[in-house]
Amino acid sequence: MEETGRYLYSVARTRDEVRLGVIGIEESPVYTVPFQDIAAVVHSCQPVPYGTKDQKLAEDWILEHNYVIDHATKRFGTVLPFSFDAIVRGDDEVIKGWLAENYEMLSTELHRVKDKDEYSVQIFYDDQKLKSRLLESDPGLKALKEKTEGMSPGKAYLLSRNLDIKLKDGLALELARLGVQFGKMVKELSDEVKADERKTWVPDKYKDKKMLASFSCLVHHDKVESLGLALDEINNMDGLAVRFTGPWAPFSFTEIGRS
Amino acid sequence: MAIKIDEDNLKEGLLGLVVALVEIVEEVLERQAVRRMESGRLSDEEIERLGSALSDLNEALEKIKQDNNITDSVRTVKEGLDQIADDVVDQFLNPERWAQDGGDGKVSLFRGKD
Repeated sequence: MEETGRYLYSVARTRDEVRLGVIGIEESPVYTVPFQDIAAVVHSCQPVPYGTKDQKLAEDWILEHNYVIDHATKRFGTVLPFSFDAIVRGDDEVIKGWLAENYEMLSTELHRVKDKDEYSVQIFYDDQKLKSRLLESDPGLKALKEKTEGMSPGKAYLLSRNLDIKLKDGLALELARLGVQFGKMVKELSDEVKADERKTWVPDKYKDKKMLASFSCLVHHDKVESLGLALDEINNMDGLAVRFTGPWAPFSFTEIGRS
Repeated sequence: MAIKIDEDNLKEGLLGLVVALVEIVEEVLERQAVRRMESGRLSDEEIERLGSALSDLNEALEKIKQDNNITDSVRTVKEGLDQIADDVVDQFLNPERWAQDGGDGKVSLFRGKD
């Protein structure tokens, strides 16, 4: 059966027509389709999406997809990655045509991400520890805590609730302040930053903590170490923990639309 | 987004939701009580009565949660409602972002052209 579709992994900066081996999804042979100094990294397939109800198989496919992207990155430098299951109807000529039509945009994007990788920065906090620190550092709050000795129960309860509320509000302010401070720092040490404002999923390792901030960063190779050191400092602060992962291809910082 | 209620037992789930909402109201009452106390407008007796009433409410809610084993699901509901509140406030602040996202099942008060 003729394979009249092409599965797209990425667009890379290269003039070469090369075979990368049977490293693709379902052991498909992966190769490049160049146009001038850019090339699509593809494998031939039927022009239908990869679909399955088997969770494990789907996960394997995604791993294979990312493996090819990583391999292309090692070989050609930072690539413009496609999400899983980007399939084009047509043959290599159609791919060439698409590259030609979008050459300016693709070349500019490749230049923008050259020598950069995407990293994920997540900062977690320990509710109790930060509240204790607030309590220690604020004499007003400390006094509130001591006041309940020898008091009538109703009044004592109200005062303890007062303290809890003030700690809760104080913590919210402190978290906002830290969020801004860390955001600024991460911005200064990265080329581009996106704040993931709606991500609240906490990995198992940090289950006893809550999310303070989450960023996707595009970082030049030369700057990664500085960013790592700065994040280390935050990680060493009492009550805070940093999860710094990567490098990934710049999924969050490029959008290769398909016609 | 899904509010995680214990779906295995709908009665438990509804109870969890109700308790979560009462706890939210409880916090509002506590804040109001503290404000009044700090304003100096309450007598010692009034402070004591207010404090006792709130303490009783809190005890009753804790007992309901323990007796029905819904402490965790109540916490989850409150965290979910927190997230929804955040999203709604964010919609007011960043309407363009929500216009881009549109139609992925997230909470939207401004259905606009839909």
